[in-house]
Amino acid sequence: MSDIHQYLAEFDDIPGTRVYTAKRARQGYWMNQFAMSLMKAENRNRWKADERAYIDEWPMSEDQKQAILDRDYNRCLDLGGNIYFLAKVFSTDGLSFLQAVGTMTGMSTEDYQAMMIAGGRSPEGQRSIREKR
Amino acid sequence: MARITAGVATSHVPAIGAAMDNGKAGEPYWAPLFKGYDWTRQWIAREKPDVVVLVYNDHASAFDMKIIPTFAIGCADRYGICDEGWGPRPVPEVAGHADLAWHIAQSLILDEFDMTIINEMDVDHGLSVPLSLMFGQPDAWPVKVIPLAVNVVTYPPPSGNRCWRLGEAIARAVESFPEDLNVQVWGTGGMSHQLQGPRAGLINAEWDNRFLHMMSAEDDGALRAIPHIEYLRETGSEGIEMVMWLVMRGALGKSVKALHRHYHVPASNTAVGHLVLEPA
Repeated sequence: MSDIHQYLAEFDDIPGTRVYTAKRARQGYWMNQFAMSLMKAENRNRWKADERAYIDEWPMSEDQKQAILDRDYNRCLDLGGNIYFLAKVFSTDGLSFLQAVGTMTGMSTEDYQAMMIAGGRSPEGQRSIREKR
Repeated sequence: MARITAGVATSHVPAIGAAMDNGKAGEPYWAPLFKGYDWTRQWIAREKPDVVVLVYNDHASAFDMKIIPTFAIGCADRYGICDEGWGPRPVPEVAGHADLAWHIAQSLILDEFDMTIINEMDVDHGLSVPLSLMFGQPDAWPVKVIPLAVNVVTYPPPSGNRCWRLGEAIARAVESFPEDLNVQVWGTGGMSHQLQGPRAGLINAEWDNRFLHMMSAEDDGALRAIPHIEYLRETGSEGIEMVMWLVMRGALGKSVKALHRHYHVPASNTAVGHLVLEPA
């Protein structure tokens, strides 16, 4: 069988990527459950009416709440968010995956979409920090 | 007896469903993607499968963080279409095949696959987009579906080898079902894509095409041995969904005949791959 310590350690060697490990899942549990609640139309309406009041109902850290309120998705990932859960937040905002995902790259929406149409981001140099490949 | 007659692999990008639902499939951005499914729609209209075992992953829709089943099988008579945050897709609800599903579930458990059994569930784009790609926009889906949900969200997902062996066990289970049924197994998700972080947008066409080739060739053990870290490094954080293709491939046996192959970049953030395979 695989050694779980070695298995997990390799994830930190991938550039620009937060693998959704148990550690992140535990840290982000309530942030993700909050996001999940937005699958219900009634909750979306309450969230849209007063974001701060709605998010304060959830036992999240202030950092997590602020990252959501700021729509800072990289920060959300750092604090244990998972993109499929965070998708409920940006879907409620009316953003597509393409629009929301692009915000994490530092590129403009137009540049990101143009990159995808041109074939996407090359894996060259993006595979391993340690091995520079 | 029931028999597995074919395997289908396809990506299940939500934007593909949205393009169809909003009448945009003919637009220049989308047309080349959908063209690659024309052959399959004609083929499947001739094949008329009775049941599809549809291997997919739930995207924080039916399952939240409360319960994370590694392998779960739908044993219900019907499945609703879930609201993923923008209202449910305007597609028919999905009819299950509870008799075959329970037969497979029981057989798998005796075969040492400890399945989670689902009796009530709404399904998300992971399941509905492949149906839309294969069948278009009918009033009712012309096939019964057994949803087989794989956790590929919270690490670790099952290994590629485990997925392959699950496929082999599904084949044994189907073959021991007494009713005469034409059964297909579909593996969905992938191909290369990353939906998070500064590396988002990664696409690896070379790797993807090698994978398509290996899926279409006689099994030499290489596919099932691909470790998670390779999917992550080479195909982006969401490329791991391709382990679900291995459930389908495992169900088809050692040798297959490739009937159709399609690859297109991009659909939204994703490289779309599609295969139709027959046991050989």
